[in-house]
Amino acid sequence: MAHAHSVKRHKGLMDWLTTVDHKKIAILYLLAGGLFFGIGGIEAVLIRLQLIKPMNDFVSAQTFNELITMHGTTMIFLGVMPVIFALMNAVIPLQIGARDVAFPFLNSLGFWTFLFGGLLLNLSWIMGGAPDAGWTSYTPLSTTTYSTTHGVDFYTVGLQIAGLGTLIGGINFLATIITMRAPGMSFMRMPMFTWTSFITSAMILFAFPAITVGLVLLSFDRILGANFFEVSNGGNPVLWQHIFWIFGHPEVYILILPAFGVISEVIPTFARKRLFGYSSMVFATILIAFLGFMVWAHHMFTTGLGPVANALFSIATMLIAVPTGIKIFNWLFTMWGGQIRFTSPNLFAIGFIPTFVMGGVTGVMLASAPADFQFHDTYFVVAHFHYVIVGGLVSGLLSGLHYWWPKMFGRMLNESLGKLSFWFFIIGFHLTFFVQHFLGLMGMQRRVFTYLPNQGFDTLNMVSTVGAILMGIGILFFLINAIVTAFKPKGVADDPWEDGRTLEWAIPSPPPEYNFKQIPLVRGIDALWKEKMAGNKGMTPAEPLGPIHMPSPTILPFVMSVGIFIAGLGFMFSKEDFSNSFMSLIFNNWIVVIIGLLITFGSMLLRSLYDDHGWHIEVEELDEEGVKA
Amino acid sequence: MTSADHQATHDAVKHSQRHEGPQKHIIVFIFSIILTAIAFAAVIAGGVNTAFTVLFLLLMAIIQVLVQMGYWMHLKDRGHMMPIIFMIGGFFVAGTAIVTALYWVWW
Repeated sequence: MAHAHSVKRHKGLMDWLTTVDHKKIAILYLLAGGLFFGIGGIEAVLIRLQLIKPMNDFVSAQTFNELITMHGTTMIFLGVMPVIFALMNAVIPLQIGARDVAFPFLNSLGFWTFLFGGLLLNLSWIMGGAPDAGWTSYTPLSTTTYSTTHGVDFYTVGLQIAGLGTLIGGINFLATIITMRAPGMSFMRMPMFTWTSFITSAMILFAFPAITVGLVLLSFDRILGANFFEVSNGGNPVLWQHIFWIFGHPEVYILILPAFGVISEVIPTFARKRLFGYSSMVFATILIAFLGFMVWAHHMFTTGLGPVANALFSIATMLIAVPTGIKIFNWLFTMWGGQIRFTSPNLFAIGFIPTFVMGGVTGVMLASAPADFQFHDTYFVVAHFHYVIVGGLVSGLLSGLHYWWPKMFGRMLNESLGKLSFWFFIIGFHLTFFVQHFLGLMGMQRRVFTYLPNQGFDTLNMVSTVGAILMGIGILFFLINAIVTAFKPKGVADDPWEDGRTLEWAIPSPPPEYNFKQIPLVRGIDALWKEKMAGNKGMTPAEPLGPIHMPSPTILPFVMSVGIFIAGLGFMFSKEDFSNSFMSLIFNNWIVVIIGLLITFGSMLLRSLYDDHGWHIEVEELDEEGVKA
Repeated sequence: MTSADHQATHDAVKHSQRHEGPQKHIIVFIFSIILTAIAFAAVIAGGVNTAFTVLFLLLMAIIQVLVQMGYWMHLKDRGHMMPIIFMIGGFFVAGTAIVTALYWVWW
């Protein structure tokens, strides 16, 4: 019998600041991701309003550059990444039959560093101008020669801090999936979402160091006067492009693979059939990840790598269509002959398939180096990557959110509102981006803040803007749905979709903080479905009822992130000329940086010196809560 | 790996360590020091030419890394397949990136 530890239970705001529970961190990720997604969405609508008619002066050219830069950066790093992490946090420990992630403290640290990085980046709007060198921040445009505000400094330091959080999260999920699967769950019995998240985490582990290095080099160039990308001093601007895309290309697969996982969960559930070709799905996922690291230079065909390099990267890129095609056909064959129910998550999943195929086809077109010389930096490229990221990834995420909402919050989203948001979203999406293919082919460049009339661009741009507004209405319906649902009483069934196949549907919605009263025994792929088909009421437990060891809540991750935030801000303004002598004193002498780092390292010291053994939930408490044994 | 397997490998690791005892670790420790000494000696002696010395040092370094990884980081023991897979993966990704960048950016 384990000895009981008393634990301080926090309430209200403190509970959220100190939580290490993966289910609460999932909700935090969702809220923060939703906030940044909203900001990025508003930026998108402003961009489209500027482009609604030729020679428009709704925003200035400088503001437009800031808008496109922040739209891309915010959406990729601060919008969809945290929503992916929200789903991973909410679902993976449940799907593998674990009580939490491997490192609950790190999980919380990852969230708070991400949030403070994102806040720092967005502070740029009110602190002298946002970054304006594009989300790729190509040198020399992003060096001090051409970008004189602190915009790009916010980009380098903010992304560095946010990237730290992502890296921490990725490592945490690798450790969780490798070490914490329930008895009987071999790798080849893992649900597809867990598989794709596992591969995504591995890609985060390998890809994010590249951007970390790149951002260090760029911030050293800008703030400390180094010359990595400064041609006049022997630097090489193309080096940035390589470093950025060595990270950047795997990053887009980091984004899309979890969406593939969501679709692979939703489609079998609502077709009442097991996933067609499970092992080929696993194989295809690994192959996509592997090839994803071999193709970065296809973003750089026009930089003059030479025909040999261009040809090799062309072929490598086209190869990715093979495993992706395998996935598409597997989803189609899963639906084939199934008893399909068109629920809102399934609508998003089914809408995903043709939309993603269209994005994939333009991807193969772009992979052809000679053709890319025509497509490069036109709206054709914009259309392509919005098809895979919005039509693919965001559809996938919305599908996953509708699907797992009852598990996360204990309340079903309204089906009618869900369907309404789907139809507005998908129609608006295609209106916005389908016409952009033709704008690109007609020669409209991306990132231009306006265009001349009577070049054939006028009508299509108008259509595109109308589509963007419809898409915004779709997202608004989803928001309304979430808010309306929040006021309904809790109390959905364990398996609200009735055809749940995986372990998360075997426990209450929302799950108790220890998830599984007894760790379940997994007897096959789609563990819960297997028990259902065998006529069993629930999972067979793999352990006797006993006290459950829980991690203690802690404020330290939050404090550490505040420290990094202060240090980052101090570093950015270390060479600034302040008119105020006090400001010069504390910034120019690195005092702010030192204070920030002292806070962070002091918290680390506290964490290391004070052993926290956590606490236990005793058997009697488990029985009191009335959860089924 | 299930937790039962995990327990088994854990026991296996403990088991093998008990049999090896400190002896093997002392031998490996002395071997590491000898490798380091050889590297220093190669530089002090001057050697045939600089290129040879550099290559020789690299060889010593690689052996040193393998020894350290295998014995001190326990990669030779059972249950370390995942770290090995991920390290090879990391080397592969970083290697491709560095070689291609060197080849295409600077030459």
